[in-house]
Amino acid sequence: MRRRPFLLGCGCLAFAAAAGLRADEYDYPMPPRFTRPEAGSDEGGLWAFMDREEQRLKRSSFLIRDKALHDYVNDIACRLAGDHCPEMRVYLVRTPYFNASMAPNGMMQVWSGLLLRMQNEAQLAAVLGHEIGHYLQRHSVERLRDAKSRSSFAMIVGMALGVAGGGSLGALAQTGILMGGLAYGRDQEREADRIGVALMAKTGYAPAEAGRVWGQLLEEYEGAKAAGEDVASSNILFASHPPAEERREVLAAAAKRDWPGAARTGADEYRARLAQHRMGFLHDEVRRRRFGESLVLFERMLKSSPRDGQVQFFKGEVYRLRAREGDARLALDAYRNALGMDNTPPEVHRSLGTMLRQAGDSAEAMRAFQRYLELKPDAEDAELIRSYISGSQS
Amino acid sequence: MRLKPWLAAAALCALAGCAQIVKVEPGQVTVKDTLTLKADIAWNRFELQFPLSVAPGASEVWTQDGITLDALAFFVGVEQGKTLGTAIGGKKLPVFRSTMTPGEIVELYEQMVTQDGSAFALKRVAPGRFGGQPGFRFEHTITRKSDGVLLKGMAQGAVVKDKLYLVAFTAPAIYYYDRHLPQVEPLLASAQIK
Repeated sequence: MRRRPFLLGCGCLAFAAAAGLRADEYDYPMPPRFTRPEAGSDEGGLWAFMDREEQRLKRSSFLIRDKALHDYVNDIACRLAGDHCPEMRVYLVRTPYFNASMAPNGMMQVWSGLLLRMQNEAQLAAVLGHEIGHYLQRHSVERLRDAKSRSSFAMIVGMALGVAGGGSLGALAQTGILMGGLAYGRDQEREADRIGVALMAKTGYAPAEAGRVWGQLLEEYEGAKAAGEDVASSNILFASHPPAEERREVLAAAAKRDWPGAARTGADEYRARLAQHRMGFLHDEVRRRRFGESLVLFERMLKSSPRDGQVQFFKGEVYRLRAREGDARLALDAYRNALGMDNTPPEVHRSLGTMLRQAGDSAEAMRAFQRYLELKPDAEDAELIRSYISGSQS
Repeated sequence: MRLKPWLAAAALCALAGCAQIVKVEPGQVTVKDTLTLKADIAWNRFELQFPLSVAPGASEVWTQDGITLDALAFFVGVEQGKTLGTAIGGKKLPVFRSTMTPGEIVELYEQMVTQDGSAFALKRVAPGRFGGQPGFRFEHTITRKSDGVLLKGMAQGAVVKDKLYLVAFTAPAIYYYDRHLPQVEPLLASAQIK
């Protein structure tokens, strides 16, 4: 369910690949501004439901309430949406999975797992553009009117509302259920991809980054599979054998066209804007215990910035938490490498101390703990670490 | 075919999310044969297991006002190689090792309570005594995924003869935590590990 809105129907561009892309394929005349549908109509009902969900989302404790970051993402979405910008509201949500979604009433959700995974502004724009594409073509309304999905939709809304009364499911889960009920079809995904690329290019972003988003996801999938992780149960993309490869290839082919003036990737800006939240997002990422996926992600991040001490530290954390045979050594190596890098968090010394102590090197462990306390004297675990040093706690 | 009355009751109970509740009388109480406590007041003990995110797979869960308002979860005698609590929703949990530092045990707890997407923040962890043994104590918050309620928590534990003993109290930060903590503190202070 988690990745559904963006990921469903991800094999959809295979046909476009076979057919070849026409020169005018990416000319996208935007529809005129939308107005609120009649309250009594099916679309009006959908809006009303989404409005209610939005009210819940606004109060959610998982909303990332950082105006600067919100404005930054909102500005990207706004430029992509052009005249439709005033219809949209962007919400950043702390959930460590790859997902973005846009509801027909203009509520857009962007999850922290997506923000962490995108390497630059253009990649984020690719995902947002795709979602805006669904919105502009009113795909969810089309789905609603499709007889087959209408009955399941009614059931799902009923379920969601019933559950809401019981209070056992949060707003986000309910929206997820709802969006799942309105899963887009292959043609819709294809159309959203095409529009996404068109909007990216029009806004000046390098369309090549759209294909890379898929390439990156595939790498993580392979990483999870190689690590023996249960890829089927964790998300839709990996479960249904969609030809994500084709999607990546077609988007890459689209990028090879001549896109005058569309070259911005915005990697440095993106990184700077996310800096304040990066430690938290990385912490959430390793706590998912999807170690194969996380390692691929971290290796990719380190490839693009080899001196990133935060990512190097969390690479060590993956090994420490995975705790398989041989992982202790890999964790120690990662921590030691992190020591010489940039922005390495003080916690690296604590983890280093913990692993060294387990390895029996108590002298070096104590030095690491001491260094941690020097750098973070008011740490929440300072008393405990002091007790390790004084030997009162074994 | 008519539904058997007991089956109907069980089904209703399951639907209503209820569990069998037994009163814990004031006085000496033993949890899982090895942890004894002295209760000054009566508690409600849940007999059935349920996937409550702050206590999945706990040996016992006690409450005053109801488990969503205050929950005292006992994890008694967790053995080497076993998880603290049980995994829910297809998640995987790390296993306990008797060589773990208290800091690592806090991580075990964090992983257990965040399985459902709840957010955990450690506020303080320090050495302490528990069950008459050297142990540790930590304080934390949990933002509950299901309803976004901010919970405050306090836990005490110790590793004795390679087994982990941990008792964690959680309650909404507004009102309930402060209301029940004065009863929880002396209860945990009275704990003895056999």
